[in-house]
Amino acid sequence: MREFKWVWGLMRKYRGIFFAALGLVFVHGLLSMINAPVQGKIVDEVIINGQIEKLLTLVLIMIGSTVLRAILRYTYLNMFEHVSQNVVYNARRDVFRKVQELDFDFFDRTKTGDIMARMTGDLEAVRHFTAYVMYSIFQHAVTFILVITFLFAINTTFTLILLAITPITGILAVRLTSKVKPAFSAIREQFSRLNSVVQENISGNRVVKAFAQEDYEIYKFSRENAGFKECNIQAAKIWERYLPVMDSVAGLLTVIAILAGGIMVITKNITLGELVTFNSFLWALNNPMRMIGWLVNDTQRFATSAEKVMMLLNREPRIKSKDGAVAEKLEGRVEFRNVCFGYGKEPVLKDISFCAYPGQTVAVVGPTGSGKSTLVSLISRFYDCTHGTVLIDDRDIKDYDVRALRANIAVAMQDIFLFSETIEGNIAYGAPDVSVEKVQWAAEMAGAHDFITEFPEDYDTIIGERGVGLSGGQKQRIALARALVMKAPIIILDDTTSSVDIETEHRIQQNLKNFCKNRTTFIIAHRISSVKHADLILVLENGEIVERGTHSELLSLKGRYYSTFVNQYGDFDK
Amino acid sequence: MARNKFDIDEELEARFDAKQLRRLLGYLKPYRGKVAFTVVLMITTSLLSLLGAYLVKVAIDDMIPAGNIGGMFILALIFIATLVFNTICMKYRIRTMSNIGQSIIYNIREDIFRHIQQLPFAYYDSRPHGKILVRVVNYVNSLSDLLSNGLINLITDLFTLAAIICFLLIMNVKLALVCFTGLPVLVTVTFLLKNAQRKAWQKVSRKLSNMNAYIHESICGIKVTQSFAREDENMEIFLGQNDEYRKAWISAVRIQFLLWPTIDIIAVASACAIFFAGVHWLGTGGITVGVILTFTSSVWRFWEPIANLGNFYNSIVNAVAYLERIFETIDEKPAVADLPGAVQMPQINGAVEFRDVVFCYEKDEVILDHVSFSVKPGETVALVGPTGAGKSTIVNLVSRFYDVQEGSVMVDGRDVRSVTLESLRKQMGIMLQDTFIFSGTIMDNIKYSRLDATDEEAIAAARAVMAHDFIMSLPDGYKTEVNERGSRLSVGQRQLISFARALLADPRILVLDEATSSIDTKTEMALQAGLQRLLKGRTSFIIAHRLSTIKTADKIMYIDNGKIVEQGSHEELMAKKGAYYKLYTAQYQLLEAV
Repeated sequence: MREFKWVWGLMRKYRGIFFAALGLVFVHGLLSMINAPVQGKIVDEVIINGQIEKLLTLVLIMIGSTVLRAILRYTYLNMFEHVSQNVVYNARRDVFRKVQELDFDFFDRTKTGDIMARMTGDLEAVRHFTAYVMYSIFQHAVTFILVITFLFAINTTFTLILLAITPITGILAVRLTSKVKPAFSAIREQFSRLNSVVQENISGNRVVKAFAQEDYEIYKFSRENAGFKECNIQAAKIWERYLPVMDSVAGLLTVIAILAGGIMVITKNITLGELVTFNSFLWALNNPMRMIGWLVNDTQRFATSAEKVMMLLNREPRIKSKDGAVAEKLEGRVEFRNVCFGYGKEPVLKDISFCAYPGQTVAVVGPTGSGKSTLVSLISRFYDCTHGTVLIDDRDIKDYDVRALRANIAVAMQDIFLFSETIEGNIAYGAPDVSVEKVQWAAEMAGAHDFITEFPEDYDTIIGERGVGLSGGQKQRIALARALVMKAPIIILDDTTSSVDIETEHRIQQNLKNFCKNRTTFIIAHRISSVKHADLILVLENGEIVERGTHSELLSLKGRYYSTFVNQYGDFDK
Repeated sequence: MARNKFDIDEELEARFDAKQLRRLLGYLKPYRGKVAFTVVLMITTSLLSLLGAYLVKVAIDDMIPAGNIGGMFILALIFIATLVFNTICMKYRIRTMSNIGQSIIYNIREDIFRHIQQLPFAYYDSRPHGKILVRVVNYVNSLSDLLSNGLINLITDLFTLAAIICFLLIMNVKLALVCFTGLPVLVTVTFLLKNAQRKAWQKVSRKLSNMNAYIHESICGIKVTQSFAREDENMEIFLGQNDEYRKAWISAVRIQFLLWPTIDIIAVASACAIFFAGVHWLGTGGITVGVILTFTSSVWRFWEPIANLGNFYNSIVNAVAYLERIFETIDEKPAVADLPGAVQMPQINGAVEFRDVVFCYEKDEVILDHVSFSVKPGETVALVGPTGAGKSTIVNLVSRFYDVQEGSVMVDGRDVRSVTLESLRKQMGIMLQDTFIFSGTIMDNIKYSRLDATDEEAIAAARAVMAHDFIMSLPDGYKTEVNERGSRLSVGQRQLISFARALLADPRILVLDEATSSIDTKTEMALQAGLQRLLKGRTSFIIAHRLSTIKTADKIMYIDNGKIVEQGSHEELMAKKGAYYKLYTAQYQLLEAV
């Protein structure tokens, strides 16, 4: 039921058009009744009785009503399409908005293909329902009720006898409703799986080819493809049990009408003329009863898909701005107070405390998986810490408006994602209104300008999705430029120059020195050369800060940092 | 080829013609027996429904006036028998047609998927992935209705139409011809609508493709979007896409819906024409009142299948917009494919040779400019030089991810184009810059390179690359589920997993393209120690910036601007005091300046 409420809600602005269109359907239905009697009249009066002068008038009535009907039908079909397209437009808008709001945790768990399935195949079922199923139900219901009322007016007993078989149709419809839903649900889930396997295959095409695993990919795909076929065939097996029976039950109406009617004529309860009238209206009862199975089917298909879409829409992001959240320009004082964090039971960060002031650079070093990236992702509130507080400008970051907070933080993530956009569009991603000069300035700062201008269309060169076609070092520099262009008070550079050669890295560092003067900068790096100038170096191990201090302080400690230093120096045995 | 992005409509390269419709019918061929049988059943059912009408007539005309209740029951029983037969036929039809329809969908999808496996990097790199996805999944789905019910209806309707035409002609040729005069009008209208309708649906399919590409990319890049707080901006772009799709759809149906009213009006008009003609010719040429009556009641039976055919035509025009995209993809020639007569690459020894290789991704943009070198089996080659110099391109050519424009790439003295791609690549282990993790367990991901490896072998590979410890620290160890974005694995961890994956293949030629850039020094040191052992007996190509990795290589090649500027061992190149020497000392100085 919730599914229908949801669609009804989406239709709010279009209900007027929707009802008007239903009105047209009704008028259209009434007009359809004109042609048969007019034709009868032509036969009786013109052809049999030879009143040829009446022919033109009658024919004009017929043609006139048909033209009117055609116009009506054309109009209401377009109106329903208008409504349904708007409903789907709005639904898709809502899903997209929701997807943008959901937190990292959700995306860490959900496959891209699943979300894609919601926004494509499932919304298609919603479209079909609003464009076609809804008015068909109305149309058939109205015809059925009108004809029944009419028949009651002629003869109550006979009509009641006719109605005796409708409970059978009713029971079958109800049973089909409950039986077919799981089948549709299975189809939708299998569709998601199919979507995911294809999506991953396309995204991972380089790995597939590198290991020549095309056959394995085809095997994985065929399994889901066959599963999808099987699910559909299973669903067909359910409706093959109901729909033919329902179709024949509708046909039974004629048998009952003639048999019962005939007996009633013979026993003089009704006249033969009345029976003929009844008979001519049977198709109008027959048709809705025949259609009900198909409409139940379509409705359940819709309900299943709508349910899936709603599940996504009803997901609450764990990270959201609270009421009265503050949105202001930040200075950039970042403080961690006894911060702990874990995904589930697994602790990732333990009791982290430190403070970073504007103008300072904080470097985070430590082994792979020690929690460095997690630590900086807490600053942007991509996750909420489980204990302790993260403060910016002495205020708990949970008190800030999430988006306003993030607009103050420029992040160059280690996991670089570039969009299939021009280079300029990619660099200006966080500040779309920025001038071309600013984009170039940022690219120069990030040491990217030179290689960009070597491309045939320099800044207008379109990059492939995820940045394919660029080397690791080039991607990193574009991502860095993208962060710099924001001119945010807080900058986070997560392993931003690991694939850049040391010379270029050195140049970038020189450029950044001035830029970072009154900003708070976080750097994650493995190379000592990248972190040695930091005001504060945090050495992380297993989620804990094991050493902290400046480069020289840490060297004199002769601990972990020192041994890393020695290791890197070991490269240069003189 | 210029790259496509989400808001650029794709040009249609192949024109649609009847050949492609025939091609679609080709998918139906294996099932033609069943289809024919179903059609026979359907025609029988419609004949039986005529019998039903006849039974009603007999009842009203004969039995009831005669008061023959027994006869009525007999008629009812016959009627019920036809209904039972109808039930069985319909059941058979639903079963058969959903089987056939689904099988065809399955086959088309299988064909397109198999085909895209053969397409080279360039295909994937030149368009948003969402646009490929939509072809394999959504476009194929949109054919399902057409193929299952549409086709059966088409054939049934054609039969009905043929029958009714014969019937009308037998009844009276003159009146029949009057009845058919509507047809040319209908054909003309359809023809006039055709182009506009086709263009409109093509637009819908393009807009759908664009929108899906945007959705797909937005989901993949959501973390970037959120970190740059760009949600509002993206919402605007998305609404623009969403709106274009909505508009395209609405204008397409606006044209499509014109067909039904046209048929309605023509049908009624031709009924009226029969009345006029009938009245005019009454009494001449065997035109009796009875004949006119039969005609006017049959005229609906004539137009009904035509209306259905119109419906079918509409869905064909609609489906063609998707179909042509599907066939376009299936027809895309793989730029890199097994040549005729390609042989299996025998066990690779590891000699690699470039002979005067010229390569460019796009015309006039030379990436490798007459590159020649040779590597002996078991040697370790380090490639150094500025980013974009062509280092990755060289290693990509060894695996024949691209074909050279001039010269040749030889492995063990065989041109890589003379052997099958699979036999070549199966013997290579490549660790790409882009670490892609498939959804599944970590174990699945390591075993990706060699599916029949045992757990022990996979664990051994993980140990060798120092990944074992961190994997064991995860909640479910090797059975930990990860997804395509790598979930919560750090980039360094992902690199270690892909390293293990490359190693498990036990490759004859190993390529490490910035394999360890995000791995911490300590792990890397440990890795280095083991690496010598791992590289033993294999030819390996290493691209790295860390000099420790490079120094111990048997051969170092300094690449700049698509040329090998220097090559030799570390000592040789240092003695040369050229580009490598400069690079090395510059790095040294930078570190020294602590």
